[in-house]
Amino acid sequence: MYRLRSARAALARALVHSFSSAAATAPSVPAFPLKQVIKSNFEPALAELRSHVRAADFVAIDLEMTGVTSAPWRECFEFDRSDVRYLKVKDSAEKFAVVQFGVCPFRWDSSNQFNFYIFPRQELNIDGSSSYEYLFQTSSIDFLAKYQFDFNACIHEGISYLSRRQEVDAQKRFDLEYEGESKEVRDMPVVGMVSILFSDRMKNKISEWRDRLLQFQNGESQSQGSQSYSKQQFQTIFFKMRPAISVNGFTSHQLRLIQLVIKNNFEDLSYIRVKGENCESQHLVVYTDSKHDRDLLMKEVKDEHRKQAEMKIQAAIGFRHVIDLLSSEKKLIVGHNCFLDIAHVHNKFVGPLPLEAEDFVASIHKYFPHIIDTKILLNTHPILQQRMKKSKTSLSSAFTMICPHIALSVSSAVASDSYVKVEAQVDDSRCSSWNAGGKHEAGYDAFMTGCIFAQACSYIGIDFKLHSSTENLAYNEKLQKHINHLYLSWTNADIIDLRTGNKVTETLESNPKRRFSNISFENIVLIWGFPSKLKAKDIRCCITKAFGSTSVTSVYHLDETAVFVYFSKTEFVSKFLSLKQNLERSNDDPISVLNPLAELLEGRNTHAADYETYKDICSSPMSKLLFANQAEATCSKWKKTELEETEAVVENRGYSTETASDIKSESFVDRISCDDDKCKQTADLACMPRVMRREE
Amino acid sequence: MAPLLQKRFFCSEVPKKWAVKQVTKSNFAESMEEIKHDISTSDFVAVSLQKTGSFSAPWHRAHPFDTAETSYYKAKYAAERFQIFQFAVCPFSVNASKLVAHPYNYLLFPRDELKLGMPSYSFSCQTSYLTSMAREGFDFNACIYDGISYLSRAQEDKAKIRIGNPRPSPLILDSTSTPSVADALFIERVKSRVIQWKKTCKKTKENTHDALMNSLRKLILGSEFYGSRPCITIDVCTERQVKLALEMLRDFADELVPVLIPGRSGGTQAVRVVLTSSQEDKDLFESELQRLEEEENKKVRGFREVIDLISASQKPVVSYNSLNDLTFIHSKFIAPLPPTVDEFASSLSKIFPCVLDVSHLMTFIGPLRKVTNIPVAISSSIVISLHQLILKSFTKACLIALIETVIDLLVMPCFGFTAADNEGKIHGHNAVRISHLFAKLCSILKIDPNSNTSDSQVLSAPALTESTNIFNALSTSFEESIDEEISVWTKSKRKVNCEQLVYLWGFGSENTAGKLKTMLHNSHSIFSEEFDIRLVDKSCAVIVFWQPGLAEKFLDVMNNIEKISGSLREMVSEGLRAASYETYKRACKLDIWEANLGESLDRALEDSEYLIEATPESTPIEISCSSDSVINYNDL
Repeated sequence: MYRLRSARAALARALVHSFSSAAATAPSVPAFPLKQVIKSNFEPALAELRSHVRAADFVAIDLEMTGVTSAPWRECFEFDRSDVRYLKVKDSAEKFAVVQFGVCPFRWDSSNQFNFYIFPRQELNIDGSSSYEYLFQTSSIDFLAKYQFDFNACIHEGISYLSRRQEVDAQKRFDLEYEGESKEVRDMPVVGMVSILFSDRMKNKISEWRDRLLQFQNGESQSQGSQSYSKQQFQTIFFKMRPAISVNGFTSHQLRLIQLVIKNNFEDLSYIRVKGENCESQHLVVYTDSKHDRDLLMKEVKDEHRKQAEMKIQAAIGFRHVIDLLSSEKKLIVGHNCFLDIAHVHNKFVGPLPLEAEDFVASIHKYFPHIIDTKILLNTHPILQQRMKKSKTSLSSAFTMICPHIALSVSSAVASDSYVKVEAQVDDSRCSSWNAGGKHEAGYDAFMTGCIFAQACSYIGIDFKLHSSTENLAYNEKLQKHINHLYLSWTNADIIDLRTGNKVTETLESNPKRRFSNISFENIVLIWGFPSKLKAKDIRCCITKAFGSTSVTSVYHLDETAVFVYFSKTEFVSKFLSLKQNLERSNDDPISVLNPLAELLEGRNTHAADYETYKDICSSPMSKLLFANQAEATCSKWKKTELEETEAVVENRGYSTETASDIKSESFVDRISCDDDKCKQTADLACMPRVMRREE
Repeated sequence: MAPLLQKRFFCSEVPKKWAVKQVTKSNFAESMEEIKHDISTSDFVAVSLQKTGSFSAPWHRAHPFDTAETSYYKAKYAAERFQIFQFAVCPFSVNASKLVAHPYNYLLFPRDELKLGMPSYSFSCQTSYLTSMAREGFDFNACIYDGISYLSRAQEDKAKIRIGNPRPSPLILDSTSTPSVADALFIERVKSRVIQWKKTCKKTKENTHDALMNSLRKLILGSEFYGSRPCITIDVCTERQVKLALEMLRDFADELVPVLIPGRSGGTQAVRVVLTSSQEDKDLFESELQRLEEEENKKVRGFREVIDLISASQKPVVSYNSLNDLTFIHSKFIAPLPPTVDEFASSLSKIFPCVLDVSHLMTFIGPLRKVTNIPVAISSSIVISLHQLILKSFTKACLIALIETVIDLLVMPCFGFTAADNEGKIHGHNAVRISHLFAKLCSILKIDPNSNTSDSQVLSAPALTESTNIFNALSTSFEESIDEEISVWTKSKRKVNCEQLVYLWGFGSENTAGKLKTMLHNSHSIFSEEFDIRLVDKSCAVIVFWQPGLAEKFLDVMNNIEKISGSLREMVSEGLRAASYETYKRACKLDIWEANLGESLDRALEDSEYLIEATPESTPIEISCSSDSVINYNDL
């Protein structure tokens, strides 16, 4: 038996571990010990985490986001091809914010939970042009609220961050800003009486100051009278051992004039801007006695600027230090159904998500060479499949299945030896039993994931004792088949290999959700904008009347405004599109009115397109609530393709009449085992159209 | 004299913390009565909203070159995406020189109370807004846990269909549809079942209550209890069967009351028939049902009750930035925003017949033009020299005309609240500030709010109403930063027609307006005439051609490769592009809200090219040179 230890603040129950005695006075089972990390304790927590991660065998992570789908039709569907699935994940990762990040390093002896509240504050205000904007999905926020998420802690005290890309951009902008500043002030004509007078006065005052300075240097003492006079003049201060005057309190226009005066009249004076103590900029005119000295001064100032900018950026990187730490230590990262999580990590801490899943995978593989997904492990490893007895593999149910001793707080004495004992540790106190209340705190979820992984490892025969900490768990051959595989889509059991970018579909029949073994996406037509009274059953009815009762395999609602029609043969797709085209052209002639499709086309707002168009619509950064509106908004593209198709259609002209006469022979019997359930579901999900349909 | 007088007139009050009633879910119901009373006794209602964001890119905010139309699109875009977290309502009256205000602050959260995906599937938040709210001590937990939810009027209608109404509406069975055999069978089956059940119910009344018998009866007849009354459930498959069942039940109307049981996904799942013992009992039961329904409705409407109250009172609504606030109110509490500004205005006028925009009122006072936010506005209203004020208000002939009461100069307002409270961080105070500012402005501008409202006509000062109800879109840009470039732009008050404007982009990001102007000046003969240029964002600038027709000519040149020569050709080769005001309008109208204006204009141009070649007859963009497209150059 090997023991994973974890920790917490106070303890309870009769603990078998010797070190627990100290806390025996605790009155009740404590809540799960989690280290909550916010802005104020981030620095020390990071240092602590650093040492824990270094020593860890693996690190479990979990994220809490402000939402998952930006519109109902962006949810995961059965008819999502893997590339479309990626686009949906990409959309989600781009639109929603991460509010909590759970990190839980596990060592064969101990585990530590960190729960980071993060909030993307705009800490570097350099250009101010684009503002951070995130979507909040009402249901997700409500869900977080149900588990007592502390929004105040998150927004008031969450740790901010910069992605690598943002860091590079910020660096560039600082450099530019500095360069722009250090560049000689460009000659501008001094216009207006006021400016000319001011320039002259400044010139006189500065030259007076300089003369006095030089006199003083030459050892000529000043008379009492001139000293009192000098009070109205500039006060000499020292900047980097050089005499200087401060020219604060002028407007930026006046400062520019001063700059100009100095440039044009005084070779031995230079104008600089430095940051003062309170981050206010100080404007100084500094005297240098040689050109060499002047260059030196400029260099010093420049270096200082750079250092300040760097410090600012370092501070703004914030939470990304944690991600960098995980990346640089090359530890095995454990997540549960974590493709979306990883996408968020990439988008928030590395850079914008690439357009193709393959590129994304390659990029993330560089950053995190070893990722393992416990959901995949449980579903694909034969021994674990047996263990799971086909029960659900959601995080909490898997936790109860795999680690009942922890989930149900069975005391360690009762638990059989086959169970891995886990102790949670926070700060310096440890414990091994707690109240399993902290569900859906990212830290606790990460902990559960880690426990599942540890237990799963023990089931499949990985003995932690035999592994010295130097050997990386990631290279264990028993895990090789599963490591770096992530579910692109759990519903379709599409798995993507992070090492190669290959997409495989899980062959096992273990997934009961899956109804179609192989979807041929070229058989799919997307229809939207049809009369709202039509349900899946009716649409199916319409189309089978026109194309034969076996033509449609399935009709599936994306939302209340759009359906997928899955034809049994690919040719039906083009036939359908051209028939629709023809019917729309022949304005209400008797044949087209009689056509069964007429019902579908009623209202003249019905549009249809193939699967590729669906992909295009999904890739749009917009997210209208209803699919029909979304499709309309991404309009120009599909309108064009539709028009191109029109030409091709003309040849098929004879076809439509043929079908029209065929109709009557078709039976009206509705043989549809239809997707009523699905319809209902989507209807439940569907919401009010808050987005207006545009008129044009 | 000025400083002394100012001090006396404006700063004499002792700072006092305003007590704003904070309302959440828990005390919402009880606050309703109070605010109802306060609204009915007040003359005006000030509103102020705390939103989760405003504009995502610099060009998305209202600019001086926006017409009412484009500003509406901009406001619409924001209203559709962002959410209101706090809604401050302040009914107030101005009495002689006293302001009586009753401020309320409501916390809102669009919780999906009915599990119908309403009122809002998701909403955007700008982190900068949330952070600044956090800085002001906003309690997000209170907002999310305890915020009041709501449904808009349009959503309520939809929800009612989905939840169903327990009380059947007076049924209208279309007489054209003749009952089929199946219908007849259904009616007969149900009828016999109901009669059977009614009989046994009446019989058992005389019997002693036998538990066994009761449960048996339950099993056999499906008899249940609805409250204390016996009832029976009739399962129905279609809406038609519901109608048939209800019609059948009419025959028993003296004793039986039908109640519709809604299905999970809308529609009716079953009809429950409740047996009442007598006529009085029946009336009692029906009124009980009605009460239940009303309570349910209240729950559905949530915070919208307040909006409905204000609307029903027909009191003038005072707001600071009316276009933004009212688009939010319309989209959250009334209905989705209509596609055009005219439709919006007419829809809104049905709800709030009179809207007064304080920021617009302030444009009558010159020095206030550069006001950034409300606290500043108030303090600067203090600093306005009186002399200037009088002059200003006298030059406004239209205003003078409607002022009958001559206000004694020395009788300046001394309101119940003071503006000296600079720490007023709690948002609810903004509504008070608005009312305060409004009262001051009225006094300064010599509008007597009371003489207006005491008339039966709402606001006998038509000019006031007029000038405020138009949501003067052109003056929304108070946030103008005062940089050096502006001196070029404020030399004279000149009106510009939209047609004289040209948008220019693709000139690289390092240019300033001045540089660009010099570059253009030497590039083409058109630019030898007088023109001005101003950057909208990093990527795009707007040019004003003072001579009419030149803009068109310039666009013509840009579209004709042969005509371009010299350095302009060079610039065009480098990527310079130009578009008319129409293109800008179209970008707004088509919701093309890219981060850079140049990008959006590019896409709008693409779109229009496509439109022209594909459906030439459907290019409906008529160029209107009406007064609304005339822009005050001074604001630009």
